[in-house]
Amino acid sequence: MTDPESPEPAQEAGSADAVNLFSGEFARCPQPVYRDLVSRCPVAHSVLGDGKVISRYEDVIWALRNPQIFSSEMELQLALGTERPMIPQQVDPPAQTRYRKVLDPRFSKKRMREIEPDIRRHANALIDAFADTGQCDFARDFAVPLPCTAFLSLMGLPHEELPRFLRMKDGIIRPQELVEEEVPDFAAMQALRVQTGKDIYAYFRDVIEDRRRAPGDDMISYLLETEVDGARLTDEDILDVSFLLILAGLDTVTATLECNIAYLAGHPAQRERLVADPALIPSAVEELMRWETPVTAVPRLVKEKVTLHGVDIEAGEMVSLLIGAANLDDEEFGNADAVEFDRARNRHLAFGGGAHRCLGSHLARLELQVAMEVWHERVPSYAIAPGAVPVFSPGIREIRSLPLVWANA
Amino acid sequence: MKLRVLADRCTGHGRCYDLAPELFDEDEDGHCRLLVPVVSGDLEAKARVAAQNCPEEAIVVSD
Ligand code: HEM
Ligand code: SF4
Repeated sequence: MTDPESPEPAQEAGSADAVNLFSGEFARCPQPVYRDLVSRCPVAHSVLGDGKVISRYEDVIWALRNPQIFSSEMELQLALGTERPMIPQQVDPPAQTRYRKVLDPRFSKKRMREIEPDIRRHANALIDAFADTGQCDFARDFAVPLPCTAFLSLMGLPHEELPRFLRMKDGIIRPQELVEEEVPDFAAMQALRVQTGKDIYAYFRDVIEDRRRAPGDDMISYLLETEVDGARLTDEDILDVSFLLILAGLDTVTATLECNIAYLAGHPAQRERLVADPALIPSAVEELMRWETPVTAVPRLVKEKVTLHGVDIEAGEMVSLLIGAANLDDEEFGNADAVEFDRARNRHLAFGGGAHRCLGSHLARLELQVAMEVWHERVPSYAIAPGAVPVFSPGIREIRSLPLVWANA
Repeated sequence: MKLRVLADRCTGHGRCYDLAPELFDEDEDGHCRLLVPVVSGDLEAKARVAAQNCPEEAIVVSD
């Protein structure tokens, strides 16, 4: 691969036939691995033994559109501290369709526009805190808190809850960082997860009680009141939705903001184009979603035997649909290995597709567009601090610390 | 040029009404509502862009 966009292949990620989607090196620079898988090995094995890895666009979109074969009903919940399947992500149609009927109107683009001024104000306020110092940790100071404030606006919860929310999501997603031991202690981590899960349920149980007594026009009141096919959501349903929203709605946007800014810091000419022509931001956000694909893969449980490119996948096997690889498939995207902010045809799958298309995609797009706009107005020129090496986490490609520096005007 | 939206394919990505609001709007669920079934002139290019950016291939363009 000679394209300047693709640095040297990630060694640690393994050969195409057995790929390690959880290595740090793959998380840092997955594109060469994706390109290799798509061209050479469209159905690979995971070295961790957690099933086959499907990479080509055509195959991934087919699987996403056929939930009767590629099911989302898996036994993942214990590992994540939930007590029941998360709604709607771990439920298949037709039940999932009924939940989406309730949820979709509340997450539509029109609705999201109502919280745009909030998001803009919060983005500016975060930048106010460090703009004059010429430096920040983009992760800690911007990319982590911004989606949390947007989430609190979306849910109609008080903004003083921010620290509590950050802690609840980290207790589930990265308990290793909250357990204060030098060596990761798995039992302690899992215990923290389970405890945090209980805290989340308890927190939202209180909110539900509260809104039942005094309904408002917030999300939880809406979920309590809305009927689909003559039935209402139970309290448990509402808890299971809320749990998922915390897991799906915070780190994903954080990771995307971090991937975007790390890319632009490393590609000054592309950054200058955006600064000179902010009208490019919406399509640049789409193109960076495609190129970076911050949520790298989605899992499915195979319900009936399928044969793909000569490889048998048996009923009962797990597969990873590698949406990051699908997004770099030349068959779908001409010149997929180049980052083109004005790409005319971009059916990327960074928000998934089919029935489980990201419920929060309209909110996420709004947050990303507003953040990129405000950031580049306020801090048009920036670089990664000398000596800092961004470390990407696997699965969802977050960068836990992203020190930036800039010269003040 | 004629436009059609396959309602059973649309899952509400909203790329169509983002990119060509003259031709598409969102319904209450955020799914696509076709505003202009027959287009001509400059709008033909917009219709193509919308179709090319719909991940569900739910927009059908025919001459
Ligand atoms: C840039 C940020 C985001 C990315 C990259 C992203 C990515 C994804 C992906 C790939 C899926 C499909 C999962 C699957 O098919 O199994 C998904 C589903 C989902 N996302 Fe997002 N997401 C983002 C932001 C959000 C936000 C802000 C929210 C909510 C506030 C959210 C809520 C959800 C929910 C509830 C689902 C499950 C939908 C269903 O199963 O029907 N996401 N997301
Ligand atoms: S882009 Fe496609 S899937 Fe999305 S709303 Fe429009 S028609 Fe529906």
